Amino acid sequence: MSAHGAPVSHDPIDRAVARAHGVLPDQGPIGVFVHHNTLHAFQHRPFHEGVQEGAALAGARPYLSLDEFRRALAAGRIADADLRHEITRALGTRGDDAVLPGLTRATLWHALMTADGDTPAHDAHGLAFAVEAGTAPESHDLPRWRAALARVARGPAMPAPAPAAPRRHRDVLVALGADDTDVAVHGELVRLGSGFLDHGQAAVALPGRERGFLSAVAALYAAGAAPPRACRGVEVAMRRVAAEGRTARQVITAALDALGVSGDAIEPWLGATALALAGWAGMFARLERHPSDHPGGPPTTLEDFLAVRLLLEQHALAAACRAAGLPLAWPALTAHMPPPAPEPAPLTASRLWHVSKAAGLTADAVAELDEATLAHLWQECAACTGLARRRIFLEAYEQTYRRAVLDAVAVRRALPPSLPEGRPRAQFVFCIDEREESIRRAIEEQSPGFVTYGAAGFFGVAIDYQGLYDREPAAYCPVVVTPGHEVYEQPVYTALSWHAVRKQLRDLWLAWMRASGAASRTLTGGASLSFLLGPIAAVRTVARVVAPRASLRFSDRVKATLAPRPATKLSTVRLGVEAAPADRGKPVGFSLQEAVDRVTATLTNIGLTTGFAPVVVFLGHGSTSLNNPHESAHDCGACGGRRGGANARLFADMANRPDVREGVRQRGIDIPADTWFVGALHDTADDSVRYYDLDALPPALVPRFEDAYGALECARRENALERCRRFDDAPLTLDPDAALSHVEARSAHLAQPRPEYGHCTNAICIVGRRALTRGLHLDRRAFLVSYDPGPDTTYVVLERILAAVGPVGAGISLEYYFSAVDNERFGCGTKLPHNVTGLLGVMNGHQGDLRTGLPLQMVELHEPMRLLLIVDASPEALLAVAGRQAEVAELVVNQWVQLVSMHPETGALMVFEDGGFVPYTPDPALLPVVERSREWHQRTRAFVAPALVRRALPASVVGPGHHGAAGATPAFA
Amino acid sequence: MTLLHLALGLALLAPIAAALAVGLRVVLGDGRPSEGAVARVIGAGLVLSIVGGLGILAAFSGLGVPPVHGDVEFGDWLRIADFVIPAVIRVDHISVTIALFSSVLTALIARFSRTYLHKEPGFIRFFTLLGVFATGTQLVALAGALELFFAGWELIGISSAFFIGFFHERDEPVRSSIRAFATYRLSDAGLLIATVATFELLGSARFSALGGAAGLPAGQATTIALLFLLSAMGKSAQLPFSGWLPRAMEGPTPSSALFYGAVSIHAGLFLLLRVWPVFEVSPVARAVGVAVGLATAFYAAAVVRVHTDAKGALAHATLAQVGLILAEICLGWTTLALVHLVCHAFLRLGQYLKAPNTIHDSHREGHAHPHPGWLDRASPRLAARLYAASLHRLRLDDLIDTIFAPVLALAHALDRADRWVRRTVSFEEPRR
Repeated sequence: MSAHGAPVSHDPIDRAVARAHGVLPDQGPIGVFVHHNTLHAFQHRPFHEGVQEGAALAGARPYLSLDEFRRALAAGRIADADLRHEITRALGTRGDDAVLPGLTRATLWHALMTADGDTPAHDAHGLAFAVEAGTAPESHDLPRWRAALARVARGPAMPAPAPAAPRRHRDVLVALGADDTDVAVHGELVRLGSGFLDHGQAAVALPGRERGFLSAVAALYAAGAAPPRACRGVEVAMRRVAAEGRTARQVITAALDALGVSGDAIEPWLGATALALAGWAGMFARLERHPSDHPGGPPTTLEDFLAVRLLLEQHALAAACRAAGLPLAWPALTAHMPPPAPEPAPLTASRLWHVSKAAGLTADAVAELDEATLAHLWQECAACTGLARRRIFLEAYEQTYRRAVLDAVAVRRALPPSLPEGRPRAQFVFCIDEREESIRRAIEEQSPGFVTYGAAGFFGVAIDYQGLYDREPAAYCPVVVTPGHEVYEQPVYTALSWHAVRKQLRDLWLAWMRASGAASRTLTGGASLSFLLGPIAAVRTVARVVAPRASLRFSDRVKATLAPRPATKLSTVRLGVEAAPADRGKPVGFSLQEAVDRVTATLTNIGLTTGFAPVVVFLGHGSTSLNNPHESAHDCGACGGRRGGANARLFADMANRPDVREGVRQRGIDIPADTWFVGALHDTADDSVRYYDLDALPPALVPRFEDAYGALECARRENALERCRRFDDAPLTLDPDAALSHVEARSAHLAQPRPEYGHCTNAICIVGRRALTRGLHLDRRAFLVSYDPGPDTTYVVLERILAAVGPVGAGISLEYYFSAVDNERFGCGTKLPHNVTGLLGVMNGHQGDLRTGLPLQMVELHEPMRLLLIVDASPEALLAVAGRQAEVAELVVNQWVQLVSMHPETGALMVFEDGGFVPYTPDPALLPVVERSREWHQRTRAFVAPALVRRALPASVVGPGHHGAAGATPAFA
Repeated sequence: MTLLHLALGLALLAPIAAALAVGLRVVLGDGRPSEGAVARVIGAGLVLSIVGGLGILAAFSGLGVPPVHGDVEFGDWLRIADFVIPAVIRVDHISVTIALFSSVLTALIARFSRTYLHKEPGFIRFFTLLGVFATGTQLVALAGALELFFAGWELIGISSAFFIGFFHERDEPVRSSIRAFATYRLSDAGLLIATVATFELLGSARFSALGGAAGLPAGQATTIALLFLLSAMGKSAQLPFSGWLPRAMEGPTPSSALFYGAVSIHAGLFLLLRVWPVFEVSPVARAVGVAVGLATAFYAAAVVRVHTDAKGALAHATLAQVGLILAEICLGWTTLALVHLVCHAFLRLGQYLKAPNTIHDSHREGHAHPHPGWLDRASPRLAARLYAASLHRLRLDDLIDTIFAPVLALAHALDRADRWVRRTVSFEEPRR
């Protein structure tokens, strides 16, 4: 699929470049991190085909390894029954064929999946040694092992898997033990490329970069730059490019000619070459497609990058081939690729041992296997490839979890919905984010009168927002939406003069910080600032390392005392104007009608149309951490990787206006006069909550607000405690206050690679009434989207919700999936050696590839599964929505998410599988019941299975005869 | 055995004893020791080292005891007939400053790393190496003679190489580590030869005996001084050995901060401060030192201007100051150099530890937009050349590769011969 959507070209270079655009990492500059499906380009294919092809291209793993799956099986995380079920589903009737006497194909597959180790070939002799030493499974039946070894030696051999064909010249050179040309080429490319793309780290940028990469690099060499030793001769070619003004396409064509790549070989060869330094090539491609990602940056194209790359590579390859005595022409060079080594005998013998054990063959029977039988057996084994096995394992891994969740949801649904009697005490609207599941539960546990809702965290107000000290407005809404309005934060009238003074001071201070930082790197500035700032820096560094929380608080307090932040308000509405004069193209603030539309839509979406509490708190979320280049990845995805506080504040401001309320009333939603909306921001790293515009709170509602405030104060402590259990360096015995201090210290610590675990625990998305899930402990694994199917007869609301939540939830889930299954290739590896480069991204060391995806520290707990999307809607409703929303349909039909329909009336569960809805009958097992969720999760650091939390349920619901008290092991699996 | 001896023993030996304890526990005990236990043991060693350092400071400044100055004997390190290597410690303002400064910084980095490296598979390795490094720096700071100094010097070198190659699963850190190590080996030869020469010519390799260099013929003194300078140039990444420094950024951030922002990079300067009497009598060596230092300073300052990665830019900014300090020393401004060194190390350490915060800061502070300078206007061509030379760092690595190409070719030939022999006498293909 071409990312440009251009028609397929006949020119192989066009096709290769278009393909590279689709396959290269699509991550923009890291300052704004937006989660997306790592293999988005393959989303038009069924999941398994897509991941296998995408992973093969990236040289990455599409699934967890067999060893990891086997550990999950041994731990009970995968139920053996589910594994057998999935094998049967994959093999169909072929599963019952006999492969050997007494061994069906399904049993053979089961044996190969559970037993055959992933011993690498070079450890074969180690395996043989371990067996004889008595430390391997095979040691339990040594006679059979020896028989297997002897039998294997006589042949026939296992048919070798097709060798990995070389994709580029360098593959052959490396296979033959010659120098790796990529070392020199990549070093040079990284330096030039980062100098070209730099966003302001270096004082000087690549000269002439406004003319494009190829032209700037060629000019640099033409001015007399020395070539790398491994690419000698490239300076001559570069000079020619500069002198003749050659285009990138001419350069690429010439290089392909010189390297003997022609015809059908061009597309795969060029594609593989583009992927060889995927991070940087991807950044060039991304900025070509989205120039707005680097406003004012140089014109950037992937072809330019490839042209420079090929010029360097061509000369490096010529030198390396000459030195190794190999031909340079591609077809001639491939002929030199060494054949793969045959599988060492101990590995084959091990397989035979396991199979014969499953088949119940004795050692003698193994020794007497005839040649034809063995050849047949090897053929069967070869058909059961590692990929096929891992695919089945993933299905079983998901199935075991899906059963547990669906059973729990069904049980909860069978209980009466828990609606407060009379008017609720307070209502809290959170983002759908699965990190908010725990704090919602903690609020609801306190009283039946506290009700929570989940809505996409921009709360339906898509804006270009500029905070008081922001340099420019930025889009606070999902990335697929372009805001139509601008909103500013402005000081209130009485604070204007102080604001002017403070802003001046602040600008001076920041300018000093910036200038002193830059000057300290110069020769003279560094010398003088060493004497001036060195002693201060010593004290500061010691304080920040030894007492991170206290020192940060101290400096915050000093700042707040010396220069308090002025009170502000938002430019929420354009008074009395419907079609406002455009300011920089976009109207500032919403007109009355627009405000009414947005308030009505959001309240309708979440099903909050009657029964308003006196206080309704809207909480956006964001995350604060230090020394964390991936900080933005922890912010709100629904706000485009920013903090949702402004959106919550804006929504509350609009919903509090009498004129807006009057308009909303005409649309059928009657907000009582004694209801007040409060906007707030929940920090998911330090679990602080910041409230906005409290000075406007009507005095009569103060006690009601303090009630809600108290609930949140307790809840954020409980939330911190529940998060702390996942941090190995926080004791399980913390109390809530200590837990809050602990997470505050994490957020303030310079050395903390895990300020929070982000979306690490995401697994489920439940779209439906909260009454169906309230009181269910979902272990921070569920996106919870409030949706009331009752009034939504035309599925308009459902469509609106799924169109936003489906792609966002799937994007997060799949990015975590890929970064977790292959953290080195799809993710960016461990954070510890990361080096911020050009303010664009991170790389390892001083000239490595730009690392995209998520770091190890963010995904280490993640269970990579496809998002389990449970919708409180009938299959017909879902099909109707899928028919109208192509992207949702693509995700569902190709099974990049697991869709489950829960019928609003009957509660019947239907799982979308292999092209249609399949009924699922829940197991009527009893769920454990705990008084408070803390009793359930605080016993272990592992994932916990779903449980009922009595305090969040109506008092009469759970009693003896319903569900039993909690068992001993809450740990999931 | 006096209190001073105890303090010195603590400062020198506590860290490596802690590292040994952890190492023995790993080798002999069951399973992996916990992170907490390892960090506590090594942390205790480092804190004891600071306590020892404070004790030395007290003795040096005469708190409660008569002030101690000069050599403190610990008997013989090695005695073969009448050939004696003394275990002697030198207490003076330089050694006390450097010893305390490095032990405090190492302990600070240990505290930082305890959080930073949590759950990292190499956690124990990191802390063990930190213990080895701490003893190395204390030896270098406090040694009273070149032999003991050399031992510390080598401990620093080997731990530095291991820290660069910390993530040894990937190729690039290993390549960089080997390059740094090879550079150290070459330049350390200078120190070794100079040590032997000093011993032969002056009868002792004690620093206190170096004053005798004034009596040596100018040629001999200059040769020894140049050998010392060679050694310092390698350790402190002066031209033409600067190529390994940016590569050293492959390690975890706290080790980059400690080694290349604060302590290890300054070790070469410290050597020159110690052997200053030899330099004092050799104007040629001092002139060479000034030239090398200034050249490195200008080179590094030029590289910083074009450098786009946070840690690499800091490495070169550090290098520029190190070059300046080298020039200061060779000009004879040793006290200025010592103050400059310590202040600069503190400043840089803080900057290194905050390097991953660059993006966060740039959101707040904004960043400078590059403007064409006077050179760009006067001669774009020259400006481009300067840019290219800085970006390519003068192709120093390539230069060294070219010089050593024959050596490498010989090594390859030997390797091939070895493989051939092993293939002929055994059935197994040796693995690459």
